[in-house]
Amino acid sequence: MASSQDPLFTGLGRAMRVGTDLLASLIVGGFLGWLVDSYVFDSTPWGVSIGLVLGLVAGIRNAYRAAKRWGT
Amino acid sequence: MEDPLHSFELHTIIPLSLFGIDISVNKAVVLMWIIVGVGSVFLLKAGAAKSLVPSKLQSLAELLVDFIRGIIQDTMGPAGMRYFPFISSLFVFILFSNLLGLIPGSYTVTSQIVVTGVFAIAVYGLSLVIGFQLHGAKFLGILVPPGTPGWLLPLMIPIELISQLARPISLAVRLFANMTAGHVILGVLFGLTIGGGLLIGWLPFSFTIVLYGLEVGIAFIQAYIFVVLTCVYIGDAIHLH
Repeated sequence: MASSQDPLFTGLGRAMRVGTDLLASLIVGGFLGWLVDSYVFDSTPWGVSIGLVLGLVAGIRNAYRAAKRWGT
Repeated sequence: MEDPLHSFELHTIIPLSLFGIDISVNKAVVLMWIIVGVGSVFLLKAGAAKSLVPSKLQSLAELLVDFIRGIIQDTMGPAGMRYFPFISSLFVFILFSNLLGLIPGSYTVTSQIVVTGVFAIAVYGLSLVIGFQLHGAKFLGILVPPGTPGWLLPLMIPIELISQLARPISLAVRLFANMTAGHVILGVLFGLTIGGGLLIGWLPFSFTIVLYGLEVGIAFIQAYIFVVLTCVYIGDAIHLH
């Protein structure tokens, strides 16, 4: 087994991380928006739309922050 | 051709129920018992000798311990060594379930999203508990990134909330999707091998050999990523910003 500082291991780990993180924030954003739409306010298209945009922003922000940490 | 998702179906072996809750034993449950058994026997046997010149088994276990210690030191610093037992049990369980699932005829426990989801929620819940224990109500400051101007707060708090809630989901989905996808591809290629016969069947069969090697690598990498992210999340809870 390789050491935990192995560049192949850390590289693959980072690559796997960013993709799913983007997707997961999008799903959570859309789901929260849907919850607001159906149970809190009766605002059908707006909650999901705003939630998806916020999810996208959160995903990209996370990817950016993670990438900034690798440089150091 | 056989349905490639057929191998993920679970059938009850021993029907059981406790206070109306279905706790029947199926193949995945048996496999989890085997994983716990194999992992415990391996580590107990490897740790029993404690000789200065390690045997093969002992040096394998020492590599494993050193590997996990490296991850913890990199992501959490020395303060994280308190969580070494938790992290190492998680790593050994996920690694063994990924690897044992590759044996033909056995079952990949981590290809069920129930299993990976419970792990992810437990890990994320633990990081929340640690955070609130160490910092109290100040831990809510994790939702406000440092250096945010006041007028941006109504925008930043929902974004941070979403990225926090996305953590357990991305943990669970990543492990589940990678294990399931690998096994589906192997299943499709084996189906093509049988369907193709001798004339053309050797081609997909040679792909299965290559992919099988890749799957062994993925088994390691997925266990590694799950544990690294566990460390990152707990580390975020320990060192607030």
